[in-house]
Amino acid sequence: MTQTKEQTPRQEITITGFGGQGIVLAGRILGKAAVLGDHKQSTLVQSYGPEARGGACSAQVIISEGTIHYPYVRHPDILVSMSQTGFDKFIGQLKEGGTVLIDQDLVQPRGLEGDVFPIPATRIAEELGRKMMANIIMFGFFTVITRAVSMEAALDSVVGSVPKGTEEMNKKAFDKGCDYGVALLKSWEKKAKGREGA
Amino acid sequence: MKNGHGDTTDFSIIFFLCSWGPHAAFQALQDSATQIPSEIKMVRIPCSGRISKALLFKPFEMGADGVALAGCETGTCRYGTGTSTAEKNVEHTRAMLNLLGLGENRLHLKTFMPEDSEGLLQFLGGFCDEIKDMGKSPVVPSPEAKAPSEGVELTKEVVAAHDIYACQDCGKCSSACPLTLVGKPFSPRAIASNIISGNVDSAEVKKDVWSCLACGLCYDRCPSAVNFPEFIKDMRHILKEGGSRDYLAHGGFFQSLMRTMTQKELRVNHWDWLPADIEQDTESKTMFFGGCAPYFDIFFSGFLGVRTSDILVDSLRLLNFFDISPLLLQSERCCGHDLLWSGDKENFLKLARLNVDAIQESGVEELITACPECYRTFTHDYPTEGVKVNFKVTHIFDLLEDEISKGAVGFKPFDRRMTFQDPCRLSRLENRSELPRKLIDRLKPVEFREMQDRAGGAICCGNSAWTGCDSYSKALQVKRIRQAQSTGSDLLVTACPKCQIHLQCAMEDPFLGEELEMDIMDLTSILAKTINWE
Repeated sequence: MTQTKEQTPRQEITITGFGGQGIVLAGRILGKAAVLGDHKQSTLVQSYGPEARGGACSAQVIISEGTIHYPYVRHPDILVSMSQTGFDKFIGQLKEGGTVLIDQDLVQPRGLEGDVFPIPATRIAEELGRKMMANIIMFGFFTVITRAVSMEAALDSVVGSVPKGTEEMNKKAFDKGCDYGVALLKSWEKKAKGREGA
Repeated sequence: MKNGHGDTTDFSIIFFLCSWGPHAAFQALQDSATQIPSEIKMVRIPCSGRISKALLFKPFEMGADGVALAGCETGTCRYGTGTSTAEKNVEHTRAMLNLLGLGENRLHLKTFMPEDSEGLLQFLGGFCDEIKDMGKSPVVPSPEAKAPSEGVELTKEVVAAHDIYACQDCGKCSSACPLTLVGKPFSPRAIASNIISGNVDSAEVKKDVWSCLACGLCYDRCPSAVNFPEFIKDMRHILKEGGSRDYLAHGGFFQSLMRTMTQKELRVNHWDWLPADIEQDTESKTMFFGGCAPYFDIFFSGFLGVRTSDILVDSLRLLNFFDISPLLLQSERCCGHDLLWSGDKENFLKLARLNVDAIQESGVEELITACPECYRTFTHDYPTEGVKVNFKVTHIFDLLEDEISKGAVGFKPFDRRMTFQDPCRLSRLENRSELPRKLIDRLKPVEFREMQDRAGGAICCGNSAWTGCDSYSKALQVKRIRQAQSTGSDLLVTACPKCQIHLQCAMEDPFLGEELEMDIMDLTSILAKTINWE
């Protein structure tokens, strides 16, 4: 029995950034959440290159209800960008009407029309005391905005994927990202109603 | 004064009668042996303008069903401004009766010419009927004060409980005490050593105990950690129980008001005045506890024009901003802070229980307040005095900091230079001076500059618990305002309704007033004014 591509609900996600930001880890956490928590199928392709030295880096994740035959992302439904070069490189591939999430302090969403979901993930991580947790904050934000994976699955995956002893800290970072996402959506909703102030 | 008729009635109406015009009219009635309603208890006074709000209200605290004040017609006052003063006092007290749920019509002011005895009789008859229609006042006077208790033993207990013996007489307290520093012959260690050596009954001790601001600066500096504010609180209680006089400000009006609120049957209308656009929810698990600001605004409207209830409105707007529609308790009463700190523990406990019962009955899980005194009282004094609280108590600053730090919220530029007056209950006694500053740091004023004495070391606004106000309190306020001005700021930010009232009072000074003038605004209001979704 063959299923056409359109019939299988699937989402293709590209996460980009510098090497060292934990982009690939974020991709792995996302995939694990989809598979272990939500019992879907998922693939991860990480781009190799000079990322360990801080160059552009990406993780390509596919989440699907059915079998995934080809793991590379050609036209992502969701693009998560934590660096300008990553954004510039991948924005052209974005599917029409796709969702874009950026670290607002690191990425200028130039040349893009439509909604972008911005979060100062690195800044929040710095406020928490660990810059390296920006990826987890972004992942929390991603979960709230896109609902690509369920909340519980996402959190379990974070806790199960980070180094031992840092679970609480990462949980806090994840919550921060979620809170920011909820606040941002609320903010837009309020603005749409013309109620910006108190 | 007997009114010539022996018949007794359940109703009692206090009739303050000015000695000039109205008394002549009243006397004519007595001379002609006219029957005056027996409910009327006449009190002859020199001038209607001398019956302050405290005196107008006192009968209600004592269980009166109605109060009438008779003065001379405008323009005929023997002293010039008596009648207009009386009009204001009556207007304010009536508004207060409405909030309390007693109803403004229990208090009337009427003016009479000396020959108008017929009019006077008609008024009295009509007023009696009106009061009878309204029914008895729900306020039942508390039983006569108990026999003065023996203070010496109790004092020893309190001294031991707070370990006042630990005082080394080093003098750090008096070098920190804001009252001592403005020149008042007052010293915490002198009070301590006087009481330890058994001089509780000396006139100085009895007066000084009421002068203390209970601001806690001495406790902060004391190397032996003698908790002077708590000690003073208990000493006031002992002195009051012992029947010695207290030194209450504003004629004891506020204490009187709070004692009246201890009546369970009172149908208080605490929130009737609220703007209609505030969203509230009777099913909410979060309650907002406002505090006494509406009463303060009525009381001070005549001369300070303070608007402390803006703090409540702006707090509610901020809650609404974050999609929190709180439950508001219509029967909300004073938290009792000022009764506790002016020696009336018995009535404090009554208020505490009434509040806690009503709050728990409504099923809320969290209580939010914007008043540092309510916050301290709910979180600290209720449990300490044995009133259990099974809900979470949150200062609104905590909630706001929490919500704002989630993100997507910013602040519009605020075109003022600001400095900040710390409320002692929050910044020192609760040791939370960082809390308002976190929020201030988020604001976008032209400039924010701290005063010389700030945070945990800030100076009191000059008074606490409506006791012991005198010229030194004023001196202290003047000193504080000058400190604020010397920062180059044009806006003094406060976080307690009383700081606002007291500092504004100093600005009313007839000699220094203009020099001291400075805008005051509560932090909550600035937040509400400039917050926006990003």
